[in-house]
Amino acid sequence: MAERSEASWLQRFEALPIIIVYALLLALFMYLSPGVFLAPYMYTTFLSTLPPLILLATGLTFVIGAGEIDLCFPSIIAFSGFIFAVLFKEYELSWLAVVAGLASGILVGFVNGLIIAKVGIPSFMTTLGTQFFWAGMATVLSGGKSYALRGAEESSVWQWIVGRPFASSSVDWLQQISIQALWTAIIVGFLWLILTRHRFGEHTLFIGDSNDVSRVVGIDVDREKIKIFTLMGFLAACAAIILTLENKNFFGNQGQGYLLTAIASVLIGGTSIFGGRATILGTVFGCLIIGMIEAGLVAAGLTGAWVRTVQGLIFLIAIIFYMYADEPQRRRALLARMGFTGKFGGARAAGSEGTALKRTKS
Amino acid sequence: MRLSTLLLVGAAACAVAAVAGRASAADPIGKGLTMYMQMGGNPGDGATLARQTGAKQAAEALGVDLKEQFSKWAPETMIAQFKEAMAAKPSCIEIMGHPGSAAFHDLVKQAVDQGIVVTSGNAPLTDLQNEFGPKGFGYAGVDLYAGGALTAKAMLAQGLKAGDEAAVWGKFGSAERAISETGLAETLEKAGLKVERLVITQEVDSDASLGVPQFAAYIQAHPNLKAIGTQHGSVTGVMPEALKKAGKKPGEIILGGIDLAPATIDGLKSGYISATLDQLLYLQGFIPVVQCVMTAKYKMPGLSLNTGAGTVTPKTIDALTKLIDAGIR
Repeated sequence: MAERSEASWLQRFEALPIIIVYALLLALFMYLSPGVFLAPYMYTTFLSTLPPLILLATGLTFVIGAGEIDLCFPSIIAFSGFIFAVLFKEYELSWLAVVAGLASGILVGFVNGLIIAKVGIPSFMTTLGTQFFWAGMATVLSGGKSYALRGAEESSVWQWIVGRPFASSSVDWLQQISIQALWTAIIVGFLWLILTRHRFGEHTLFIGDSNDVSRVVGIDVDREKIKIFTLMGFLAACAAIILTLENKNFFGNQGQGYLLTAIASVLIGGTSIFGGRATILGTVFGCLIIGMIEAGLVAAGLTGAWVRTVQGLIFLIAIIFYMYADEPQRRRALLARMGFTGKFGGARAAGSEGTALKRTKS
Repeated sequence: MRLSTLLLVGAAACAVAAVAGRASAADPIGKGLTMYMQMGGNPGDGATLARQTGAKQAAEALGVDLKEQFSKWAPETMIAQFKEAMAAKPSCIEIMGHPGSAAFHDLVKQAVDQGIVVTSGNAPLTDLQNEFGPKGFGYAGVDLYAGGALTAKAMLAQGLKAGDEAAVWGKFGSAERAISETGLAETLEKAGLKVERLVITQEVDSDASLGVPQFAAYIQAHPNLKAIGTQHGSVTGVMPEALKKAGKKPGEIILGGIDLAPATIDGLKSGYISATLDQLLYLQGFIPVVQCVMTAKYKMPGLSLNTGAGTVTPKTIDALTKLIDAGIR
């Protein structure tokens, strides 16, 4: 009984285990590098560098929550980034370039969804193929060249999307706060509401639990999947435009470094890789951990080869901690295996009836 | 003043001088300085290891607290890492030039305005050197065009002639980084060779072994190919494997590359690699640390060092093998 109340306490707050992991990690870095992590500058830096990762990971939370995967989004960052950069620089189309960049991402995402839902090709294979295709298109169209957006900071597009609203402040760290953090917070907050309060979010998790059960209860699975991948394309295009404007440069290979980091952020945040369970708040904290970890380890004085080793270790610890903190039945099974059967009795094997079935019953 | 007082003051002065002398001898010149340094690819890879060694040994010798950053050669990662480094408020930051001057300009200005010494390596940022040179913005790396041309000349010296077909793999389109391959290709063209320029993809840039099948396929599809050039260290290392897979014998195709990674040494010894530009990566690690100390402590301006000193051929490789294995050459 005591354990049941403990479990409900842990589960009452969304993503609490990963928030605890984040807080512990932050405290560790503050202890190891007080000059860096007790000053505001690193955090204002994260406000400008993390928004693309958070947007991508938020989109992936829907995709993975629906039991699918998207490997194409790094190429959307390259392709939409190119569309935006070339229209912005060569044709000086300003806000029309933004619209075109977003439209190109939406189009790619829509096509991905169409192939997956209507042609019936698994999302892994579809997005693997389209990943190569759109990255190739970006290279072909750009000729492998970079575009330097010199003077972009003078434009209203730059000011509104990645500007520094407190640039005239007398406090130097306030000057560095970038507005893309605000847009990202608004988008992520809205999508959190969609996932947790709207029918689309409910359908996404239903589909993640079971496509068949979802169809039985009347969900148009194909339509919802197309919507999910279109949303992912839109968010990847948002990330592309932010990245291009923030760097004042389009790089032909931009976005390639985000594939594994975005997926890792979603998974360590607590979204189930099998679908049916997703948490945007957990994803955001997963991104914060991923974004902070290398800077923290380097500041702590770890040399190159060790950084990745410790990164991997922290990922594993975070995931294991999350699983055992968030899933009481798994914790009970572990304790039973370790011989703690008295107080922690009643251990059962993890996994009982499917969540979708439970949802159906309710 | 009495003699005894004079003697006492003199003795005290000598003691203070001795202690001060001992203290200054014990404290290395760069003590108290922290430096963030971008190393390039991945820890320990052939195009990065000697730079790491040079930076580490310079930091140890000068007492600098060195923080290494690795970007897998991705330009946007280099920019993000520069921002993180700047947020840590170090004494100095060394950047790779790959993203280009336009991408780095505002960030470097911001850092320099905050009193951080910024310098560069591996690919030059000429505009930034001109603007921030007096504040310590230097460059340690190859004069890219000259380095590419030097490699091409070493290849031509192996018997290439006008009309021969050649392929040059490079980071074409990647800001100033592409200048070295351009120097290589243009020098071959000036000698009358027919040169095809081929782009190294991001996947191959990060892990050159992924490129072996495409290199081999290209070589097989071009039976008249007489020469291959690249200024990518890891691609140089894997190219002999591609030649073997394409059924070519050592020396059948003149291969000119860059750096002295372990795989490149094997390629030189087996005769598959005809010449490789030695860009002295060790110095590309060592000199920026010296630059950091000289500017932070003595306000010296940025120095430019061309580390593209010459090429290594199968005839000259043996004397360097031990140093290469030690991660120095």
